[in-house]
Amino acid sequence: MRVAVTGTPGTGKTTATDLLASDPDFDLDVVHLNDVIKSEGFDEGTDEDRGSVIADLDAVAGWLEGRDDLLFESHLAHNFEADRVVVLRAHPDTVVERLRERGDGDAKAYENAESEALDVVLSEAVETHGLDSVYEIDTTEQSPEDVAAAIAAVVAGEREPSAGEVTYIEWL
Amino acid sequence: MSESQDDKWGIAHVYASFNNTIITITDQTGAETLAKSSGGTVVKQNRDEASPYAAMQMAEVVAEEAKAQNVEGVHVRVRGPGGNQQKSPGPGAQATIRALARAGLEIGRIEDVTPIPHDGTRGPKNAGF
Ligand SMILES: Nc1ncnc2c1ncn2[C@@H]1O[C@H](COP(=O)(O)OP(=O)(O)O)[C@@H](O)[C@H]1O
Ligand SMILES: [Mg+2]
Repeated sequence: MRVAVTGTPGTGKTTATDLLASDPDFDLDVVHLNDVIKSEGFDEGTDEDRGSVIADLDAVAGWLEGRDDLLFESHLAHNFEADRVVVLRAHPDTVVERLRERGDGDAKAYENAESEALDVVLSEAVETHGLDSVYEIDTTEQSPEDVAAAIAAVVAGEREPSAGEVTYIEWL
Repeated sequence: MSESQDDKWGIAHVYASFNNTIITITDQTGAETLAKSSGGTVVKQNRDEASPYAAMQMAEVVAEEAKAQNVEGVHVRVRGPGGNQQKSPGPGAQATIRALARAGLEIGRIEDVTPIPHDGTRGPKNAGF
C-alpha cells in the first residue's frame, strides 16, 4: 500500500507523520518528500521570489518507483501514484499562525493561507486521483496525535473518502 | 488622461475554489468593492456553487451592479483552481469572463494570479495537470 499525505504547508503533515514514523504499530515507512527533493537534488531550477526550488516531479516519481509499503508526505505528494491520498486541511488563519510560529515569513505564510482558502491542493489531488481516493482531514481543532490517528485510520481502511467538506473561501 | 465619470474601469476578481466561486468588482486600486456575488447566492445545491452555470449567473448580477455605477470595463484577475475537477483557471472562470462580456462590460487584461503553495520546494507550473 502507498499512501500520499498532502496539504498546504502549515497543515501539519510533517508533525503528524513524524508521530506515525515513531509508532511501532504503524507498518508503513514514512518519507518526507521535501527532504528527498533537496538531498537528491531533484529540482529543475529555483523560484527566487519564493525561496523554493522547483521540483522535478519526474525525478521524484522515478525515485518512488518500485517502493511499496510507503507513506510519503509533502505538499507535492498528490502528484505521485498512490492507493490513497490524505489531504490535511486547516483554516487559513491557523495556517498563518502555525507557519509564523515555525519561523516562516509573512509573504510565505500569506500565500500558503490563500492557497488553502482556494482549495488549491485539494483540487489538484481530486483532479489527479479522483474522489474515490481522496480523504480530507480538517486539522484546525485537532492535536497532532489526533491527526496522526486520523491518517492511521485512512491507512487501516476505517475512513470513507471525502473532499470539499470544509470550505474557507469566506476568509478571502 | 481625461477619463470622465462615465467610462471608469474596474477590476473583476474571480475566486474559484473547489466548492464555490466568488466574484467581486472593485475600483482600479482594489480598495473599494463595487459589487460582489458568491455561488451560494445563485444556486440551491452546495455542489453546484462552483459550476459554470453559477459563475454565469453571478457574472450577470455583478456586471449589472457595476454598470449602474458607471463601470464600462474590467481587468480580470482569476485566482484558484476553478472548481470541481476543472483545470486552472477552470470553465467557471472562463464562463464568468464570457458572461461579464455578454452583460456589456469591456474586458481588458486577464491575469491568472492563483497562489502557489510552497515550502522550500514548489511544483512546476501546470504540474502534471
Ligand atoms: N495539529 C496541530 N495543532 C497545532 N499546531 C500544529 C499541529 N500540527 C503542526 N503544528 C505546528 O504547526 C507548524 C507546521 O507544522 P508542520 O508539521 O511543519 O506542517 P507541514 O509539514 O504541513 O508544513 C509546526 O510549528 C508545528 O509544530
Ligand atoms: Mg512539512
